Amino acid sequence: MNISIEKDNGSTIMKISGRLDTTTAPELEKAINDEGETLKNLVLDFEGVNYISSAGLRVLLTAQKKMNIQGNMELINVCEEVMDIFEMTGFADVLEIK
Amino acid sequence: MKLLVPILLNCAFVTAFYLLDKKTGFKKLKFSSKQILIGVVFGGLSAFASGYGVEILGTVANVRDAAPLCAGLIFGGPAGIVSGIIGGLYRFFSVYWGAGEYTRIACTISTILAGFIAATLRRFMFDNKRPTWSYGVFITVVCEVLHMLMIFFTNMNDSSYAFEFVKAASLPLIIGNSVAVGISLLVVSFVNYSKRNRSKNQERISQTFQRRLLVLIVVACVITSTFTYFLQSGMAEIETKEVFTSAMTDVITDVRGKSDEKLLTITENIRSEYENDNSVSLDDLAEKYNVTEINIVNSDGLIADSTDETLINTFNMNSTEQSKEFMVLTGEMSEFVQMYSPQGFDGVTMRKYAGVSLSNGGFVQVGYDADHFHDTLDDFVIDVTKNRHVGSTGFVAVCDEKLNLVTHTERNGKHISTIGITPDEVMLQGKTASQLYKTNVINEETDFSEEYIYVFTFVEGYCIIAAMPFAEAMLMRDASLYTSIFMLILIFAALFVFIYFLIKKVIINNLQKINGALSEITGGNLNVEVDVRSNAEFSSLSDDINSTVATLKRYIGEAAARIDKELEYAKQIQLSALPSSFPDTEKYEIFAQMIAAKEVGGDFYDFYTLDDNTILFLAADVSGKGIPAAMFMMTAKTIIKDLAERGLPVDEIFTLANEKLCENNESGMFVTAWIGKVDLITGKLSFANAGHNPPVIAHADGGCELLKSRAGFVLAGMDGIKYRANEITLNYGDRIFLYTDGVTEATDKNENLYGEERLQSYMENNRNLKAEALLSGLKEDIDRFVGDAPQFDDITMLLFDYKNKEGAAMKEKIFPAEKDALTDVVAFTEECLDSFDCPMKSSMAICVAVEEIFVNIASYAYGEKTGNASLSFGFDENERLMTLVIKDEGVPFNPLEKDEPDISLSAAEREIGGLGIFITKKTMDTVSYKYENGENILTMTKKI
Repeated sequence: MNISIEKDNGSTIMKISGRLDTTTAPELEKAINDEGETLKNLVLDFEGVNYISSAGLRVLLTAQKKMNIQGNMELINVCEEVMDIFEMTGFADVLEIK
Repeated sequence: MKLLVPILLNCAFVTAFYLLDKKTGFKKLKFSSKQILIGVVFGGLSAFASGYGVEILGTVANVRDAAPLCAGLIFGGPAGIVSGIIGGLYRFFSVYWGAGEYTRIACTISTILAGFIAATLRRFMFDNKRPTWSYGVFITVVCEVLHMLMIFFTNMNDSSYAFEFVKAASLPLIIGNSVAVGISLLVVSFVNYSKRNRSKNQERISQTFQRRLLVLIVVACVITSTFTYFLQSGMAEIETKEVFTSAMTDVITDVRGKSDEKLLTITENIRSEYENDNSVSLDDLAEKYNVTEINIVNSDGLIADSTDETLINTFNMNSTEQSKEFMVLTGEMSEFVQMYSPQGFDGVTMRKYAGVSLSNGGFVQVGYDADHFHDTLDDFVIDVTKNRHVGSTGFVAVCDEKLNLVTHTERNGKHISTIGITPDEVMLQGKTASQLYKTNVINEETDFSEEYIYVFTFVEGYCIIAAMPFAEAMLMRDASLYTSIFMLILIFAALFVFIYFLIKKVIINNLQKINGALSEITGGNLNVEVDVRSNAEFSSLSDDINSTVATLKRYIGEAAARIDKELEYAKQIQLSALPSSFPDTEKYEIFAQMIAAKEVGGDFYDFYTLDDNTILFLAADVSGKGIPAAMFMMTAKTIIKDLAERGLPVDEIFTLANEKLCENNESGMFVTAWIGKVDLITGKLSFANAGHNPPVIAHADGGCELLKSRAGFVLAGMDGIKYRANEITLNYGDRIFLYTDGVTEATDKNENLYGEERLQSYMENNRNLKAEALLSGLKEDIDRFVGDAPQFDDITMLLFDYKNKEGAAMKEKIFPAEKDALTDVVAFTEECLDSFDCPMKSSMAICVAVEEIFVNIASYAYGEKTGNASLSFGFDENERLMTLVIKDEGVPFNPLEKDEPDISLSAAEREIGGLGIFITKKTMDTVSYKYENGENILTMTKKI
């Protein structure tokens, strides 16, 4: 999994590509935590994510809880397969997906 | 001692060739060339032995005959003949380089004969087999005896020398050759003995007979020889006596004739002087003619005048027996001479009388003392005896009454004892003895003493002794003894051979014919007729056997018909007990067949369905045949079915079945069986084997093998046996073929077995056939192999087909239950799914499920410990149904029982966890959990 981070007008865009599974999820968690308290607007670009497991969901949920407090988080470019998972697990309602 | 060299050499060659023949490539040589080679080698050996012998009377006694005998008896007739001829010819020509001329022909012929005899006897008497050493010795003795007789017959004109030769050579020759042949045969039989531990077969009649006959013949020969010895000794004594008597009689006749003649002449002179002048003084006449006594007897027998005055007119000639004999002179005879004998008058005085008739009817009687006439007779006696021989080297000696020698000029006048003859009582009394005496006589010329026998007789006042060397007397006896015994040996040997062949022809050959027929009958062919009609006894025996067999055949026929009927019923019942409708579902197929042999047997097969996904199948074979086996089979089948349907593991089924079958199993029957239990979802096959043939497993991806495992003991064989279960996982398309030994042990007419290899190659080559076609094809294959031979055993076949029409395989892999292994797990999963042509969407769903379950196991199943987790993917292409089984051996945990998370809650309220299982349940079509044999087994399916 690769994460590239871009900053633009107070928004932080994390472009994620690859699998978001038990092995890789901790990387995403770390990247988000590294941004610290300053993070206001987090955009997760899921264009390159074709796979997500419960470990990925767990990171997303944690991030969402955190961003609920300090700002805003949104997911963009979610593919159909991953969307199915989000819907199945009710994450579609919890996360802000565009 | 010198003979030992060729004897041992002979033995060594025999052993060498024997071993060569048995152990090396030498035996591959053609028979004829082998025989010639051995013949030449032993011929050479024979020739070598010729020169290597003991010197006897100018010729050499050797063991030349041993080599042809050995070659002939041990290696075969042609070898014997070849070596005999070589040895014989060598002997014939060896005269040119110094061998003895004397026995040339005899030795040549007998060596050649030895080869022929060995060849003939081996061929006709020992059935072309090597005889035992005792026969070898016996044959050699006979050959050597023949050899000796040859020497006799080729030297008839010189029999005494021939005899001397034979006497000296026979023992070394016979013993030497016998030892050579005997030892060779012994060594060979010893070599053979150590090699194959001698299977102690029972002796055949011909052998027993041969042996006993040999003993009998040898004993008879010894007895006859002993008898001959005594007979010949007696005859020799008589003959010797006759020789003595004739020599003696001649001498006695000569001496007595001469003395009679002399005395008569004197008497005649006295008579003519007396008749011319009656007044002449008798005393003067007596003095003139140097006689002891003159009597003038008248016709009445009264002594009218005498030199002894006391007799005149007092002594009548008729008064004593001796004097009365002279009364013939008064009648028919004119002359009469009496032997030198005691005179009638006193019965003691020895005197010789002669008488001549007078013209007046009376006669003149003149008497001599020995002294008187010996003077004139001695020269004559010496002349008579001097050149007289008794036998060829004996002599005649004459002594006077005082036993002083008259003959033997050198010792003339000396006592008889000087030539070694000690007078006994009889001789001292001057009587003639009838027995033979033996003494050492000292030779006049050489002074050597030699054992002589002698007789003596007294005549005319002489003691005449006829003597002969003892050896000469015995020579005749020994010669006839040797010839007799040799002839006896030959006759008895011929008798032996003749009787043997007679018995063989009359009895043994017929017995063999009858035996052959009988063994065919006992072999089951009751249509054989015994037909030996060479004599009444065998004819009646043949008839009896034929009628017995005919009766037997009738009874058997009747009994067989009855039993056949009963067996037919039994077979029907047995067959009806076996399942006859076979399942053929999408998941699996079972087909089975039992082809019973003619006789009802104890084979059976069975299968049981426990639930949709579990099936058991079984093949078994009860020991023995017939009704008991069939009944035992029913019991076994019932017991196993009962246990199997309770859902027990296979090992327990067998363990318990064994206990039950062992109860009251008085008949000692047992069952071999193989049972398998398949989980149709996982393909897991657990099986147990109770002494049964290992099944064939035909793999879906090619290849056949025997499903071997450590078999347990047969069922019902022994109490308390624990059977063990084995396990393999079947792939879709794998087939298990169960069978009984009727398949692998089907036998063709050459006793070849159908065997496992043929079975496996059949299964391999016909893997595409449906179960039913496969089994009937196999039966046809077996029938083709067996040909005309009858089917001995039941043939039972069961095929379990773990179907998958397109042949996709179950894929399984084991991973360590650690999070780090996830990458590998995902890779394996993707690989499997790719091979199933899984669409992207399903693929991801399945991957997620795999990850969730695996991570779950990695995190919790083993706690602090480590362990494994296995993944198996199956795919039914028709249904496009993917099956996934994930197993671990961790703590029992049913993830399906976990509460589902509330997915309607907002992010802030949501709990982490429980999502993985939830996703899995959602994305898979079915998810089931079970805990079995210490394993958590999670099975999922999804149509893709």
